[in-house]
This record gives sequence, structure tokens and C-alpha cells, in this order.
Amino acid sequence: MGELEPIFPLKAIVFQGLFLLVAIALEAGLLRQRLYLGFKDSVQYATVINLAATVVGWFAFLLLEPLAPPALEAQIISYVLFDRLTFNSWTTRVGAIVLISGLTAFFVTLLIKLKGLELMMRTAGTWTIPNQPERLSRIQRYARARSGNTDQQQAMGRFSNAVLQANALSFSALLLLLLLRTFAREWS
Amino acid sequence: MIEAFRDSLDRIRILITPTQYFAWQTLLLLSIFSWLMAILAEVLDAATLTVNILSTCSWISLTAAIWWALWRNPVRVAGFSISAWITGAVLCLFLFNPWPPERLRWALAAWPLISTAIRALPSFFRWDLEFKRPKPEVQQELVLILLLNLLLTSWILFYFQVQSWFGRYPSLLVNDFDRSAFVYDFSSDFERIPQGVLLLESAADALEQQLNGIPWPRTERWLLNSEAQVADIAREIPRAALYAPEESLFWKLGAPPPIGAAGGYRLNFRAYWRGPVARENGYYLEKSCQLTPQRRTRPAPPSRPSPSGRSPAVPPVEYETTIVQCDTAVPEPQWIDASAVD
Repeated sequence: MGELEPIFPLKAIVFQGLFLLVAIALEAGLLRQRLYLGFKDSVQYATVINLAATVVGWFAFLLLEPLAPPALEAQIISYVLFDRLTFNSWTTRVGAIVLISGLTAFFVTLLIKLKGLELMMRTAGTWTIPNQPERLSRIQRYARARSGNTDQQQAMGRFSNAVLQANALSFSALLLLLLLRTFAREWS
Repeated sequence: MIEAFRDSLDRIRILITPTQYFAWQTLLLLSIFSWLMAILAEVLDAATLTVNILSTCSWISLTAAIWWALWRNPVRVAGFSISAWITGAVLCLFLFNPWPPERLRWALAAWPLISTAIRALPSFFRWDLEFKRPKPEVQQELVLILLLNLLLTSWILFYFQVQSWFGRYPSLLVNDFDRSAFVYDFSSDFERIPQGVLLLESAADALEQQLNGIPWPRTERWLLNSEAQVADIAREIPRAALYAPEESLFWKLGAPPPIGAAGGYRLNFRAYWRGPVARENGYYLEKSCQLTPQRRTRPAPPSRPSPSGRSPAVPPVEYETTIVQCDTAVPEPQWIDASAVD
């Protein structure tokens, strides 16, 4: 590494802060509604799971970027430094890569948020869903046969559903913000 | 003036004089003492080990003193104590002691994490140094602090990642970064020279070596086939011509067909930048070389004297050699217009 240039990722930090605030606000509201949490708890949980997802994303980028082949690296540099994705004949492949990494990001984020929220609620003692019992009593087995699933499964389903909706909501909001930014740039 | 100076000196003296033996001021004085001893040992040419041990002692007691002092009088920003981050900075300075640029990256990246550890450590131990599990609220707070600091670390690492791009592909710095959504450039007003200039210089050197002083007809033949010849020159430019050789994959050297000019020909070398750019179609650098014939004469070879005893007046042989002259000005980037692209 040569001498350091006075070029700092300040815009990235500002955008990151803005996106985190939007995502946390939306998700906290939704989790509070769906999981019957308090104000403070919901904001705290949303902050922690979103920060965790962000950090995992950053580390994935920092680890994988040096492994990218030169052509892909040129695209990444072009996007980061000049906000442009397409040059030469790379358009379709870039589209595919963006799509795949976006989908991967969504599902990895969902997984982190599910596990993270469960862990947070368990340590705080607000986790109310009972563990799946090892052996079911006769009556419970009948109940399961009648209704199709147990209370535990229903509660877990509600929980996962809430987190999925929260994640989808924040991703859509951020995508909307990114699109707005692009349009604003085109029009100005 | 002197009064004020003496006053502040007195205040410092009162501040660092320990009120009891078991105080942070003791550690600070210990650190200063150890540091003075290290200097003394250095002056007296003591063994390196001695100096190292003394200065390490000094660093350790300084870190401990600062930690203790800040624990007693916490520094608060918006109600949040940042004492651990100051202690962490001092500890990082000590741990990564000689600070060459490669270590700076890791020192800065480790700083938030080390500070978090310093912040969290007291919650994990009882007063008698036995391990304890922090209370759930404290655990959640610590998780939040840890995540925020991991985010800080990733920003710092991202900064260095971008710097390593500039190290490997320095010609990126020719562009403006106004459009970027990630970085902000604080150095907009000083000139940066793309590496293509070096590429053009070695191409011009190669041309001079190949054609300077060569008979003009051979130069004309060379020019007829200029496209292939320029490609040859481009291929033979050593990677070491660039100080960041990885960048060579983004440069393409070429030359449009030579134009007749000033009694000879003009060959324009162009280095096209094919890497990431701020504007639509990239840019090229141009260095032009003028090839002119020079009339030379050579005395005729002495012929055998004729039987009459007088050698005939043989006119001297005339021929033309090539002179290569390349521009010495540093080429400026020529941005390619979208409409002018073929």
C-alpha cells in the first residue's frame, strides 16, 4: 500500500445511517404489532438484528471482494467510485450477479434476523414459545392429528411470519429509496 | 503571562500528585519514571532488551493509569461514556507500536473491538475477579455496543479497501468522484497523472530505438505496416514500465494511421483507458512522434586510380536517414465524446 489518499467513505456512512434508521423504524413498528412487544423492546430488537445483518453483509463484502476476478472487480470499483454499473458487454452478466446477490442477501438477512431475534428474546426472557416436547402425550398426539399442527408450531409460524414481513418491508423501503435516488440523479 | 503559566503548572502538579498511594496518579508517575529510565538506558547504550522492557512497562502503566483516571472521571458524549475508546486508542498505540502503513490498517480496525472489550470486561467479573454472567439488560446493551463497533471496524476496513484499489490502479485517481454514493474526495484541487503517460513514454522510446538513424525507405516500409508494428511495440512494453503493473490490463496502446506532415510523417500513440471511469466513454492519452527524413552525404568510396594517375571526381553518395522526435509535454487526458464514438 502506498500513501493514503484523502478520499473517505463518508457518503457510505451517511447513507448507511439513513438506511438503518428507516429499516429499524419500520421493523420495530411491525414487530411491536405482530409480536405484542413493548416500545423500547421492539426498537432495541430491531436495532440489534439490523445491525447484525449489516455487519455480516460488510464482512462478507470485505472478504469476498478481493477474490473477485478482475472483470467483476472492475464492475465493483465502477459502482462504488463512479456509481455506474455497465460498460462493455457485461450488462447481462452484471444483471444476473446483482439479482443473485440481492436474493442471497435477502435470505441470509432473514436467517440472521430470525435467529438473532430468538436469541435476544431468550436472553431477555420475553421468549414465550415453548420448546417442542420430546415425547407427546396421547392427548397431544390426538390434538395434533386433528388440527394438523401443535401450539408450538403455530406460535413459531406466527413468529417467523412476523420476521419475514418485517424483513420484506425494510428491503422494499430501501429498494424504493435507492430507486428514488437513481431517478433524482437522472432528473437533476 | 508567567503568572498564568505558573498557575496552570500548579494545577497540573495538584492533579498528578497522588492523594493516596493507591491512585491512578501513582501509575502515571510510575509510567513517567519508567519512560525516563528507558531514555536514560538508551543514552547509556544499554542492551536493547533493557530499553524495550522499560518502555513496555511505561506503556502498560500509562494505559492502566489512563483507564483508571477515566474510570474515576468518565468523559461523556451525549450522556454516553467514551472512556473505553480513549483507553482503547492508547492500548492500540502500544500494541501496534512501530506504526508503518501496513500496520495502521489493522491498528485502526482493531481499535473499536479492543475498546469494546475494555468496555465489557468489568461486567464479566465480580470485584474479587471471579467470573460472572452479566444481567440480561447489561448483556443486551453490550451486544448493541459490540455490533456498533463491528460496524465501525467494517467502515475502517472499507476505507482501506478503497485505498488498496487506488494503490493497485492509481489511474482511477484521474477521475472525479462526485457521482459516487460511497466516497467523498477531499483533494479535488491537485493534479494527478495517469500511468498511461509512462506507457506512452516507453512506446516512444521503443520507436526511437527502432527507427532513429535508419534509412528513410525502411522507415516508410515500417509506416506502411504501422498497425502491426505498434501492436508489437505495445506487446513488448515490460510490465515493469508501470509502477503499479496490475493496472496494465486496463490500458490499450494503439495508434491511428500516420499522417503526412512537415515533409515526413506524424505518428500519434494513444493509450486508451479501459477500466472504470466516471464519464460515459473513458479517455485516452496522446503522444505524437514526428518522423522526418534527413539528407546525409557520404564520401564516395575511393576508386582505383586510373592509369592516367588522376582519380576521377566522383560525386559523394547521397542518402536519407530517419530522425524521430517525440513530444516531451506530459499528455493530458482526452475525454471521448459520446457522439464521436465510432
